[in-house]
Amino acid sequence: MIKDLSIKNKLYAGFGAILAIILLLLILAYNNFARLSEANNWDRHTMQVLHAIDRVSLDLMALQSETRGYYLTGDPARLAKVRDQLTELPASVGALKKMVVDNPTQAERIQRLDGMIQNWIRTTLEPQVARRQELGKAPGAADTIGQMPQLAQGSPLIVGLNKVLDEARAEENALLTRRSEEAATQQRNMTTLLAAGGATCIALSMLIVYVLTRAIMTPLTNLTNVVGRIAAGDQGARADIVSRDELGNVSQEFNRMAQSIQDNQQRERASTDELRAKVDALLEVVSRAASGDLTGKVTITGNDAIGQLGQGLARMFDNLRLLLNNVQKAGIQVTTSATEIAASAKEQEATGVEQAQTSVEVLSTTKEIASNTSELLKTMEGATEVADYTTSATAEAQNNLRRMDQTMQNMVSATDSINAKLAALSEKASNINSVLTTITKVADQTNILSLNAAIEAEKAGEAGRGFSVVATEIRRLADQTSVSTWDIEQMLKEMQSAVSASVMGMDKFSEEIRRSVGEVRGVTDQLSGVMDQVQKLAPQFDLVLQGMQSQAVGAQQITETMMQLNDATQQTVESLKATSEAVHQLQYAASDLQTSVATFAVNV
Amino acid sequence: MKLLVFHIGADRYGLPLATIRQVLPLMALTAVPLAPDAVAGLMNLHGASVPVIDLARSGGAAPAARQVDTRIVLVDYPAPGGTVHALGLLAERVVGVQDVAEASLHASGVRAAPFLGPVAGDTHGLVQLVQPEHLLPADLRAALFPSNGAP
Repeated sequence: MIKDLSIKNKLYAGFGAILAIILLLLILAYNNFARLSEANNWDRHTMQVLHAIDRVSLDLMALQSETRGYYLTGDPARLAKVRDQLTELPASVGALKKMVVDNPTQAERIQRLDGMIQNWIRTTLEPQVARRQELGKAPGAADTIGQMPQLAQGSPLIVGLNKVLDEARAEENALLTRRSEEAATQQRNMTTLLAAGGATCIALSMLIVYVLTRAIMTPLTNLTNVVGRIAAGDQGARADIVSRDELGNVSQEFNRMAQSIQDNQQRERASTDELRAKVDALLEVVSRAASGDLTGKVTITGNDAIGQLGQGLARMFDNLRLLLNNVQKAGIQVTTSATEIAASAKEQEATGVEQAQTSVEVLSTTKEIASNTSELLKTMEGATEVADYTTSATAEAQNNLRRMDQTMQNMVSATDSINAKLAALSEKASNINSVLTTITKVADQTNILSLNAAIEAEKAGEAGRGFSVVATEIRRLADQTSVSTWDIEQMLKEMQSAVSASVMGMDKFSEEIRRSVGEVRGVTDQLSGVMDQVQKLAPQFDLVLQGMQSQAVGAQQITETMMQLNDATQQTVESLKATSEAVHQLQYAASDLQTSVATFAVNV
Repeated sequence: MKLLVFHIGADRYGLPLATIRQVLPLMALTAVPLAPDAVAGLMNLHGASVPVIDLARSGGAAPAARQVDTRIVLVDYPAPGGTVHALGLLAERVVGVQDVAEASLHASGVRAAPFLGPVAGDTHGLVQLVQPEHLLPADLRAALFPSNGAP
């Protein structure tokens, strides 16, 4: 039942119960205090009654005492005092009477006492006082008074009065005792009530606190334990709903939250596992590709990131396979091309000598001609400058040009003549060569003959000794002949090569001369237009002529440098060989490339 | 005694003139298939077939180069049976005849090829004698002159 209450109601109920108990206790205590106060009032009242009784007794005693003093002295001052006492005494009795109206017994007793007092005053006191006044200052008056019957009569009255007073006093004392006991009883009851009520209140409060604490702390502890278990990793932990208060609602909501967290984690783990499987599949394909096997197929598809990655990888592998196929084909093509290049390099090497020779000669000659032509050009420029200042001597210049043309023609014909003579020289040298061959053979035969002659002389013994000397001399002559012949042969070979080089150089030279003639004619034609005004060309054309002559000298030098050009040709051939070697290396590299690419498996 | 000096490699060797029949120029030789290495071939000497031994190959060097001063030396080879055969020797760099004093000849002191005889010193170094009678080992002799090798 308590479990169905909310925490607010529980707190209200608990503290309300404690308040009710305290209120009850206060009411009881208030009642007890009221009763105790009443008992105390009664006590005081009794004490006041006693006091009034004592006052009456005292007044009575004072009245007696004053009366006797008057009796003895007869002093009127004393009489006044007696009169005062006589007024006071009834007042005291009246006060007492008022006090004891609630007690009929006492009231009757006081009424009686009042009567007795009135009686005493009337019967005893008044006559004696009157007598004493009569007596006045008479001697023995006191004795007279003492002799009066009233005096003797008065004693029993006083005794009766005191007796009544004692009775009243005893009555009041008994009442006091009874009321004191009653007050003490009330006090004990009060103490007992306070002690028992306080204890009950404390016990009840503790009980309520315990129940409240238990009702609040049990679900809280339960919840804290479950939170701790979830924090430690137990996803399935749930809080027990032991009450339907706010904590119960909290537990229920917490359970719902934990359940949703667990569901979310399971969904997340499932998606993570799926992702890992896809990544593993991709990784296997990529690992195979890294080891050279490109035949792996990427099966991961989809619109998410990993699917797009898989599709991208598949495209990349397709492109890579295509690329490697192309590279393999290219390697084969490179090898084929390298082989072809090697073959053509061989051909180039074979034709290299010729080409190099020709090109070097052309270069050399062209340089010479170019320098001469530049000189010529310079001179011509000078001539042009001079021509600006003069308009005469045109005909002379033209004549000079014609003479120069003629000279060049002569030079061409002279060159042709030199060529013819050189050809004749080469032919002669060939003839000498055949003669030398014959001489070499003869010398060789002579050598053998001398050896055989020495052998025969040795066999002839002493008789052949002289012949042996002759044979030795013959052999020496034969040897000298061989050496000389070899020298001649070498010289002849050099001469032949020099002559053939000269022929070729002269051919080139005459070609250049012809071209120069053409150029000069062109220049002449061009200059003819302006030459009408040119008069001072003759000295410049002399310079031109000198340049041409130096060109002839340069052409002579061409012939001399032909031998050196051979070396350059050799270098060209060597560089062609180096090219061939490089092509071989290219072939090796191409086959290496093919081998390297072949390690990749690309066929699916 | 007089020696015909030739070379095997860089070293000089001498053939005694007494054993030489004739010095011939280098001529075309007919190859003999399956013949031993030392046999350079057969030469045609006025119609007769004469075997030619390459001295350079016999001496363990490379075959004799066919140069201007490479000659064929025709020697008399005395077979053990007493008959004398004509034998051609292909000699490289035949430089000529040299006279060597008998006193300057002394044994080489090294056991080498069987045809090597004593050596003679001169200003240009040593000349080692070649003895044609010891030139052919028994099997080569039997191969070249079979009739003589039969008992």
